[in-house]
Amino acid sequence: MNWKNIRSIFSKEIIGAIRDKRTLIAMIIVPLVFYPLLFIGMGYFSQMGNKKSEETVSIVAIKGEEFALQLSKHLENQEKIKTITKEDNAFAKLESGEIQAIIEIPPQFDSKIKQRESSRLVLKHDSTEVKSRVAQKRINLVIDEYLREIVSQRLNDLNLDEEIIHPFVLEMENVASSEKVAGTFLGFLLPYLVIILIFAGAMHTAIDITAGEKERGTIATLLVSQISRLEIVLGKCMAVMMVSFTSMIIGLFGISISLLSGNAIAGSGGIEGMKLGVTFSTFLLLFLILLPLVGLTSSVLVIVGIFARNIKEASSYITPIYMLTIFLGVISISQGIELSGNMFLIPILNSSFVFKEILMGKIYWSHIITTFSANMIIAGIALLGATRLFNKEEVLFRS
Amino acid sequence: MIQVEGLTKIFHDNKRGEVIAVNNLKFNCQMGKIYGLLGPNGAGKTTTLRILATMMRPTVGKVKVNGFDVVREPDEVRKQIGFLSGETGLYDRFTPRETLQFFGRINRMENEIIDKKMGEIFQALDMENFKDVRVDKLSTGMKQKLSIARCILHDPSVLILDEPTVGLDIITARTVTNYVESFKKQGKCVIYSTHIMREAEKLCDVIGIIHHGKLLAQGTLKELKKYSSLEDLEEIFFELIGRENS
Repeated sequence: MNWKNIRSIFSKEIIGAIRDKRTLIAMIIVPLVFYPLLFIGMGYFSQMGNKKSEETVSIVAIKGEEFALQLSKHLENQEKIKTITKEDNAFAKLESGEIQAIIEIPPQFDSKIKQRESSRLVLKHDSTEVKSRVAQKRINLVIDEYLREIVSQRLNDLNLDEEIIHPFVLEMENVASSEKVAGTFLGFLLPYLVIILIFAGAMHTAIDITAGEKERGTIATLLVSQISRLEIVLGKCMAVMMVSFTSMIIGLFGISISLLSGNAIAGSGGIEGMKLGVTFSTFLLLFLILLPLVGLTSSVLVIVGIFARNIKEASSYITPIYMLTIFLGVISISQGIELSGNMFLIPILNSSFVFKEILMGKIYWSHIITTFSANMIIAGIALLGATRLFNKEEVLFRS
Repeated sequence: MIQVEGLTKIFHDNKRGEVIAVNNLKFNCQMGKIYGLLGPNGAGKTTTLRILATMMRPTVGKVKVNGFDVVREPDEVRKQIGFLSGETGLYDRFTPRETLQFFGRINRMENEIIDKKMGEIFQALDMENFKDVRVDKLSTGMKQKLSIARCILHDPSVLILDEPTVGLDIITARTVTNYVESFKKQGKCVIYSTHIMREAEKLCDVIGIIHHGKLLAQGTLKELKKYSSLEDLEEIFFELIGRENS
């Protein structure tokens, strides 16, 4: 094996990838321009929608206003609620969105309350409409306040202290450090994003330099040169790894810009203000987990590319693998799922879980070593498999 | 020189079963000579040349290039050969200079030698004015010149040319055949496959007529004419195929 030859193949593929407009669009334009625009746009429109809903006055139809004068008064006093009392087609109007809620008050509502009996109110709203949900919240606040007033009055009438219905007060304290909050937030999202970015970054180049070479007829020129099949495969795999890793870094950078821009993700303020607990050693550990994952993804994609007759065929073979990757990524997003010992042998899934653990500050060496070794071994096997395929004339010259 | 002895290649096809692509071929090609493999599409020309170029392994038989066995010593064989086919593509995103530098390096040439050789080739093939233009911007003729340059850069003594004029216009095809003749003058051993009778007549010292993987006849044009009692290579070709089919 001659490193000079591997370097020649590697450089040729990297220069080819850099000069390919499609790689540049996928690697730079999409993450650095499209992602931020998408995230900021999503945040902006979501924020605008919420703001508009909060500003809009809710129109609430009250059926039987005369049976609950006190409550109706409370509702009328609200700035953001406009009550209408004489409405025959209230239900149809609620469905069409003209009004946002209906309150149905039964007869003797007030008299029952006076007699310290229990009565019943019906609040109708449409949970699929944002404005209706806002109206429901506003009405609930008024009703809660009114309920407390009544209870307080009743206790007062009975000469009882309010504490009788509040045996204790629950105070909540969140002990999670800001690093942990940030880690959980990142741990939830990042492994999934990283897997998708690695795969998407590797995909185009891997196909282009394998099935693409077959399609363009350049593969024969390599095969008759004084370079071994292993050197060709290693050079190609390393180039795919490089492109994949760079795309991931640029992708993460693009996403960070989006998150830090403040407006992103429903205007939640992104992760601004969260203190990240990523130290140098954490960074090294993350790299240790990512390296075999990038290697594994690249070699598998190169195998598929070598096996396929042309770019089109390679793309159709890769689609189910991409779906599987997304599926494994989605599992890592699912809260509450914990992997047991042997499950850390499953590639992709293992990396995403260990990644999550490291970001949350949990360092389990057994998980890290199992994941690293399993992925390295599988990547090595995939690399050998790719070389074997490159030696098979029936694969190289399939027609 | 090229020595082919009892060369047979069998492919396994899921639908058709065993397919004999090349059947017991035997021929030699000496240095300073052009051996033409003449046959229709699917005759087994490409498979034969792929075996000679170490891209495929023979099922049975012995093939030697300058004394090196294609199965046991493929690396040595690759040092001896230059391969060019109508189907061999070029890297669109590279310039001719970059293409030759890459192929020079993977053929274990030193940078200084690559540069020297490249300069000579650019001049000889009249490539100076487009040596730094990306391949995707070149005309078919320019591309074919670059393919020839790639094939001869490491100064191989044996050239394996698989239908190198296929799909080319008449002027570009003439450029290619002129170079093939110059290779012969340089004392190189050239094996040239074609289905174009005129090319075979004009270029080849020895012609082997191949059909359904079998070598039906071989010899100089004069010998073939004598053997078949016919004057025209095309007539000889159809006569031989007719005999084989009956």
